[in-house]
Amino acid sequence: MPKKQPLLTLLNILSAVFVIGALILILFFTPEEAQMGAVQKVFYFHVASAWAGMLSFVIAAVGGVLYLVKREMRWDWLSLASIEVGLVFGLAAILSGMIWAHPIWNTWWVWEPRLTTTAIMELIYLAYFILRGALNTPEAKARLGAVFAIVSVITVPLTFFSIRLYRTIHPVVFVSGDSAAFTMSPRMWNAFIASLVAFNVLLAALIWNRTRLAALQTHNELEENLP
Amino acid sequence: MNGFSNYLHTLWQVFRKDLQVEWRGRQGLPVMLVFALLVVFLFNFALQLTPALQAGLASGLLWVALAFASTLGLNRSVSLERENNALDGLLLTPADRSAIFFGKTLSNLTFTTLVALVLLPVFSLFYQQNMLNPRLLLVVLLGLGAYTSLGTLLAALSIQTRTRDVLLPVLLYPLALPVLIAAVEATRGILGGQAWGELQSWILLLVACNILFLAAGLLLFDTILEE
Repeated sequence: MPKKQPLLTLLNILSAVFVIGALILILFFTPEEAQMGAVQKVFYFHVASAWAGMLSFVIAAVGGVLYLVKREMRWDWLSLASIEVGLVFGLAAILSGMIWAHPIWNTWWVWEPRLTTTAIMELIYLAYFILRGALNTPEAKARLGAVFAIVSVITVPLTFFSIRLYRTIHPVVFVSGDSAAFTMSPRMWNAFIASLVAFNVLLAALIWNRTRLAALQTHNELEENLP
Repeated sequence: MNGFSNYLHTLWQVFRKDLQVEWRGRQGLPVMLVFALLVVFLFNFALQLTPALQAGLASGLLWVALAFASTLGLNRSVSLERENNALDGLLLTPADRSAIFFGKTLSNLTFTTLVALVLLPVFSLFYQQNMLNPRLLLVVLLGLGAYTSLGTLLAALSIQTRTRDVLLPVLLYPLALPVLIAAVEATRGILGGQAWGELQSWILLLVACNILFLAAGLLLFDTILEE
């Protein structure tokens, strides 16, 4: 049975402390935005989860490359873990964005480049799981999963770029409402940076735990198959 | 024969074989063609197209019809190799596997371009727009080139799953989104009489997609086919 590393325990505790710390900063130590009011506070965790989601898909592709080069299962576990965690962060970003958009833009959904790209990204990585589920051996899952993770990372920036190009040519109905639309006071910046740091630590902890889970699963399956 | 001409020879033979199989069996292309025409008719009724709407939607419908019909061809092109274990025979030869990828991409591009060559006059007739335009043909070639190179790669991937060809659209459509956006917009621009310079970014995006997907095939096709 692979032992739980003390560093992982530390990371788990750290991520809890950081997320709670960032939450306290956001709730009690940031001013309410003049025009948007309290709902603007969604922004901190919204941007942080979008960032964490994006980063984890890049990590998944790096894991894919490392698997194809080294052919060690742990890189596939990393890839799988990152995509699973990334899907959750992507969904969190979309849902928190909707909560913000409903009062501010007066609609739940806008076909805006960042929103649309995130939604497409979710669909792409859902397909990753369908692909894995339809393959028989762990080796095929790892190999073809790695290929798909790499190809996906190539197309996501292209999608973003093409939708943005599409929007700049077409009339802009909604001015995008993130950092560009309002200026942040120093205290807002503090909370924003704290959220980013907290979500990066949380991301690392989640991916590590999920990778460990995959390792344990494989370990168990091997033990069950022993005579 | 040196290495490169050998490579080109393999590529050409794979291409020639695919064309020969199609010429003798005539089982892929007619299906693609009729399917594409059916999509045109289905959309006409599903969207209740009035002449005023037709002008604006023609470019989008053209590409949806091409994208759907191409999927059939792409699946056919790899399932052909699964039948009678033809793929194993192909892999047993010392042929470079990326040459197989380029040959297959080329034959897929040929079939889809033939479908497009039939669709363009049909669209010109039904949607009251002159689509017989050399610039449009270039966009069609670039768009289909990127679409089929990505599609050939993913079809080789999906054919190895238990669900076989059912999986391809789920893998391909979200990843092919930048290609479709750029192709639709370039087509719309040409039909709207825009100057070549205004379409430059879309054309460049299509060229970039072609290069990236061909490079992905060159590097990854070998990995996809190993068993």
